[in-house]
Amino acid sequence: MIEVSRLTKAYGAFYAVNDVSFQVGKGEVVGFLGPNGAGKSTTLRILAGFLGMTSGQVRIGGHDIVEASFEARQQLGYMPEAAPLYTEMRVREYLQFRAELKGVAGRDRRARVEQAMAEARVDDVAETLILNLSKGYRQRVGLADALVARPPILILDEPTAGLDPNQIREVRDLIKGLGERHTILLSTHILPEVEATCGRAVVIARGRIAGEGTLEELRSKRRSSRARLALRPARGEHEAVEALLRGVDGVKSCKGEAHEGLWRGEITWDKKVDDPELALEELVRRLVEQGHGVREATPSKASLDEVFAQLTTEPQREGEPAEGGAP
Amino acid sequence: MRGFWPVYKRELFSMFVTPLAWIIIVVFLVIQGMHFSLLLGHFARQPEVVADHGPVQAFFGGTIFLYLPLLILCPGLTMRAFAEERRSGTIEALLTAPISTTGLVLAKWLAAVTTYVAMWAPTALYMAVIRKTGELDWNVVATGYLGILGVGCSYLALGVLMSAMTRSQLIALVLGMLVTVGLFVMGIGEMVLDDGWARDFCSYVSVWSQMDDFSKGIVDSRRLAFDLTMTTVPLFATVRVVDSWRWGLWNFSTSMRC
Repeated sequence: MIEVSRLTKAYGAFYAVNDVSFQVGKGEVVGFLGPNGAGKSTTLRILAGFLGMTSGQVRIGGHDIVEASFEARQQLGYMPEAAPLYTEMRVREYLQFRAELKGVAGRDRRARVEQAMAEARVDDVAETLILNLSKGYRQRVGLADALVARPPILILDEPTAGLDPNQIREVRDLIKGLGERHTILLSTHILPEVEATCGRAVVIARGRIAGEGTLEELRSKRRSSRARLALRPARGEHEAVEALLRGVDGVKSCKGEAHEGLWRGEITWDKKVDDPELALEELVRRLVEQGHGVREATPSKASLDEVFAQLTTEPQREGEPAEGGAP
Repeated sequence: MRGFWPVYKRELFSMFVTPLAWIIIVVFLVIQGMHFSLLLGHFARQPEVVADHGPVQAFFGGTIFLYLPLLILCPGLTMRAFAEERRSGTIEALLTAPISTTGLVLAKWLAAVTTYVAMWAPTALYMAVIRKTGELDWNVVATGYLGILGVGCSYLALGVLMSAMTRSQLIALVLGMLVTVGLFVMGIGEMVLDDGWARDFCSYVSVWSQMDDFSKGIVDSRRLAFDLTMTTVPLFATVRVVDSWRWGLWNFSTSMRC
């Protein structure tokens, strides 16, 4: 439904978005993940037809956003960051205006507006001036606006930014429900959001795609930097075990405590270790050779937080042009 | 043209639920009321009235009191058109809806023209007052209003263009006034310059000469052509500017941060 290929947006010598390609299939809920300033909003604005690109191509529901901008925009419900609204209007008035603007036929308009208000849970403030609404309500009015014409594709720019925890949970539930009928691309810089709502994530950092895949794929693609151990030291010499662990090449730190003849702890691998699981295997062999009992040795799965940090702070891989270079 | 009707309705709504339109209309009517009453007093003291120089002619452009309010109030009517949308960010929701830029620009301009017409409508009462005391040629009144409409259309089109140039209503207002006052001052050239191409040019752009013609019942197609040009060219330019935010023809969105 959304196809982005080799998208680049340059402001002079600065590349806000650099050679970005990804796709969102029908019925998918995809998280567009990245730290602040990574180029998320710029990309979504281009997708929504608000900004032009420097080069590349975007197709929304099969329509090119430049060549067939009108048809592409008809497929789309877009909620801009911070949901700017006309504050002098009442919620229902605003949504009726938006529905008419998006070409919802007059006889359906009232019903669609009521339905969108119910779905976004703003029906209790239908007659309130937007000026007097809280941030959370405004955000949801923006969401109702994106829904009102029942577009097949939703693009939501930080739908939960600035909400309190209860509101965040509500909006997430709402998005999950919408995912059954819509194709959704939502941006966020908060990881739990992706875990809670999305089936797949596209990670962007410094204007480039840093990773892509289902949450499981992303996690497994990234090496775990830690391992959990439970050992039964030979002759009860806990210090010897810790000394041995510290002495192994590649172990950055080691932390643990002895309890009833068992040593339980965690080691952290150095960044230069290429394959932590292989290193762990080697480590276990050495422990056994020394006569220690190994009860448990588990490479701990990288949390999504770690994946995020790794993906977005990792130095440029070789063969890629330098930051700000030609696309 | 898709999107014209809803945007037009919303613009009018927004004009009249916020105090802006009401303030402009009240200021305008207070000035015109005083203007009209001064004129009536003046003509009542005249022993005889010459044809073509009655109160109707004086009201439609005989004095500076017609032009001064228009030069300031017209840019006031349009200053919000695009500047406010861009400042508050609502332009993003507007431009990502499936509407045409031409429809959008025309809707904003026509909403301003509608308010302008509403602003002038009560002055029809003045004509009724004159009618009570003497003869009144309704055709001349009609051409007078036609001239007023022509001036308004062009000033408001220029104002919409200026509003698209900036994110600040205040700057839009000042830019709009610079343009309208500039045009007005150029028109004054007709009265101070010697014969020659410069004087001809000034005479052509002079709003004063235009209203002088129309207030006497003369509908000169050159005047109408001028108003039409001064309306369509700024509106066309506005469409280009709005499209350039999207596609960055001149990269206005990044180079014009004012």
